[in-house]
Amino acid sequence: MPSPIATALDRLERTRVWRSIFRSGKGRSTLHNALVIQQSVFLHLFSVKVRKRMLSLGATWYLGTLTLATFLLLVVTGVLLMLYYHPSVPQAYTDVKDLQFVVSSGLFLRNLHRWSAHAMVFLAFAHMFRVFYRGAYRPPREFNWVVGVVLLLITLLLSYTGYLLPWDQLAYWAITVGTNISSAVPLVGDKIRFLLLGGHFVNANALLRFYVLHCVILPLSAVLFLAVHFWRIRKDGGLYVRESEPGAAEAAQTSTTEEREKP
Amino acid sequence: MQTNKTGFLSSIRAFVRDPFRMFGMVSVILLLLLTIAPAKDYFSQWRGYQRQYLRFIGSRGDAVTLRRHFTGGIQQIWIPKLDVVDRCQSCHVGLAEASLADVKEQPFRAHPPIPHKLTEFGCTMCHRGQGAATTVEEAHHSEMAGEEPILPARYIESSCGQCHHEPLEGAPKLNRGRVALARYGCVHCHTIALPEGSTMQATDNPPPLSHIADKTTREWIYAWLKDPASYSATATMPNFQLSDADAGDISAFLIANSTPQPGDTIAPPAASGDAASGSDAGASLYGESFCASCHATQNEAGNLVGGDLGPELTNVGGKVKPGWLMAWMRDPQKYDPQTPMPQYRWTDPQLKLIVSYVEGKTDPDFLANVHLQPATKAQIAHGKKLVIEYGCASCHVIAGVPKPDNFAPELSRIGSKPVVQLVFLPGMKHTLPAYLEQKIRQPRSFGPSLHMPRYNFNAGQIEDLTTALLSLTDRSFSLPASLQVPAVRETSYQPAGQAGQLMASLNCQSCHRINGHGGTMAPDLSWEGSSVQRAWLDNFLKNPNTLRPTLIRRMPRFNLTDAERTTLTDYILTVYQTPAFDRDAMPLAGYPPQLIEQGRQLFYSKYDCQSCHMVNPNVDKGYIGPMLTHVGARLNAAWIFHYLKDPQALRPGTIEPNQHMSDDDARALTAFLMAQKSGAGQGANQ
Repeated sequence: MPSPIATALDRLERTRVWRSIFRSGKGRSTLHNALVIQQSVFLHLFSVKVRKRMLSLGATWYLGTLTLATFLLLVVTGVLLMLYYHPSVPQAYTDVKDLQFVVSSGLFLRNLHRWSAHAMVFLAFAHMFRVFYRGAYRPPREFNWVVGVVLLLITLLLSYTGYLLPWDQLAYWAITVGTNISSAVPLVGDKIRFLLLGGHFVNANALLRFYVLHCVILPLSAVLFLAVHFWRIRKDGGLYVRESEPGAAEAAQTSTTEEREKP
Repeated sequence: MQTNKTGFLSSIRAFVRDPFRMFGMVSVILLLLLTIAPAKDYFSQWRGYQRQYLRFIGSRGDAVTLRRHFTGGIQQIWIPKLDVVDRCQSCHVGLAEASLADVKEQPFRAHPPIPHKLTEFGCTMCHRGQGAATTVEEAHHSEMAGEEPILPARYIESSCGQCHHEPLEGAPKLNRGRVALARYGCVHCHTIALPEGSTMQATDNPPPLSHIADKTTREWIYAWLKDPASYSATATMPNFQLSDADAGDISAFLIANSTPQPGDTIAPPAASGDAASGSDAGASLYGESFCASCHATQNEAGNLVGGDLGPELTNVGGKVKPGWLMAWMRDPQKYDPQTPMPQYRWTDPQLKLIVSYVEGKTDPDFLANVHLQPATKAQIAHGKKLVIEYGCASCHVIAGVPKPDNFAPELSRIGSKPVVQLVFLPGMKHTLPAYLEQKIRQPRSFGPSLHMPRYNFNAGQIEDLTTALLSLTDRSFSLPASLQVPAVRETSYQPAGQAGQLMASLNCQSCHRINGHGGTMAPDLSWEGSSVQRAWLDNFLKNPNTLRPTLIRRMPRFNLTDAERTTLTDYILTVYQTPAFDRDAMPLAGYPPQLIEQGRQLFYSKYDCQSCHMVNPNVDKGYIGPMLTHVGARLNAAWIFHYLKDPQALRPGTIEPNQHMSDDDARALTAFLMAQKSGAGQGANQ
């Protein structure tokens, strides 16, 4: 006897509207499951098939997924913060103070954004260490490693540009020092600094530029590179497993580590 | 044990392996964590204070009114054009409730009455602190990112000074502090720019030192440099805490650098045969010349008696050489063109009397232990180096040593200096006022190589000065110009011509203010020509007397010649006239007796003038205003008439009340007052 919920779902899945959206139809075959993944715009980035063992905590420590989770958290809290914040010199600092003292749960919102940002930088590094020490950057995954490095740079730049936005003394001097460092680049250093600040000093123009970088340009590039990053995981043969590498089979025989893991 | 532990671990492992149970557990933990945010909001400090306030007023008699006035939630004063967002009233709920004035504990006390409305400038404009904050710690004590911690209440007058640059009634500390900044010469070394564009000017008049050897000895300079206060308790010269050798070298340089000024020294008077009678006559001449109007001396009881315009003279005999004093008394401007001392026109015997009297004021102990070896070249050179190093030329004119520019840090915005930029001594409170107080009390405590000298200020004076310094904020420059109340700026008015030279030598403006320039000890003379009659003025200059029964006369007699008196009288009567009316528009005499009688009745009944003035000394008891017994021979009728109509228009700040008299009343009173010519109280006792 099927439950009423199961019956209702079954009926829903048979409607025309449902079938026009989810075109894979009903079925539980392997091919069918593969179609579900392949025909969704969101899911098709991911591998159609994954080794079950690779989904366990021990395989990846979920570091990449957690980095993505903090990124999504940052997007959500960041959009909410944008509702309260004006990127203008007279208002920026008082807006932050308002968030801290008057907006309901504003301090929570701001701290969530801040701690997520710290966590994302930490997790991105941890993810890269793990990939590096497991050797997962080797061909055919070398391009995805480069994409990962670009994503790390974007993460750091997001962190840096967000630092100016509270417009307090800490922010002001941090950006002054940071842009002075960029002016040490040979030949074009001063041009880079001028481009970043929109002038020669940290001022209203710099605040606006950093705001646009932080809220529009850098997040969009991050999304773009993330898409490439995930898609390449699938194209490069899914998550890295040592046994799948040429010559790894012999190595596996001598190693007892994997054996001990199995029940 | 071992089995227990493995059993526990395996159950954890089993739990982790079950994704549904894991998901449920994590969700519950997340939900619990998420409740923290609204809970923190609900239990916030300001909500706590508002609940406490409602309980507190519930037990009071005026609970109903107070509860009606109460609105919950965050309260703020928002003044965009002044950049004020003050949420202080979220906790200080009863600030505007006059009936809570008796409450002692904060945060529910009512604000004491002030000249401004609470919503006019907000809270942080005066009290500092962080207005946007809604927690006590952040609002009162935060100093990160340039925020200012709350200002202790004893310096609160400094906040008035951000807009009010004029002497302000109700802010005595601020006024005293500002006077002290000018009087103790702080602004010689430290520039203090004011928002309206001028800079604060010193009022201390330090003497020039280019001809100092004519005036005094190296021994005296040495002892004075070591400790100015031991010579005179009222010295404005601070103590530079010099070593014996350094003081010796500076004195050597000053003497060696001094050039004789022709006419600076006259042969001193020979010792008088009859010293006692000479000294009595000298004392009475000192009294008659009203030297004490400006100079103080210590009496036997140790109290200072006299004015503070000139230096204290208690021990001056040990300081100045008799020959120099003689020349100085004859013409002070010869030695110091900037001196406020008038040129008395003493006769030679009088000069001798006054010089020997003043030379007698000496303290034999002051120089008793000073024995200096003759100065060497090296000492003189080192002395000059020290004079430059300590910035002596910031105050004194010294030949060959130019006045240094910006010798000490500028203080125009010292009241906004962030705490993070200050260096504190161990054990000091980390606040700006504490720093300023210590800096004034013991400047060298911040480092032995600092040059700032030590003053002998008492705790009250230090608080005054700190208050004045704290008023010099960034905000006083950034406030809209419409809010600024500038100080009355001193003009550079000097009378012209022959009379001008005469008035300059008499230094009239040391005491009298004329056209916005001069002292405040004596009446303003800007419109004296409209006010007084020629005969009275001429006689007054010949033999000055006081107009008020309760005041001591302070105007000296200057032994003017007839020609000089005529020049002065002509000039004053011609030049110092008000444009408001014609002084000859009403006759000086010849008023009908009925009008005089009507004026008499108005004087004694309707306007009750005898409460302050006297027309007939036998009957009247008014001791506050000037005597009017001879007023008809002193003032012009038109002046009296217009003065009665609106006293403050002619003499700003006078306490004479404005009675809003009708023209008829004013005319009758004028007729009555003009009848008072001989002091017999004409028309008064009919």
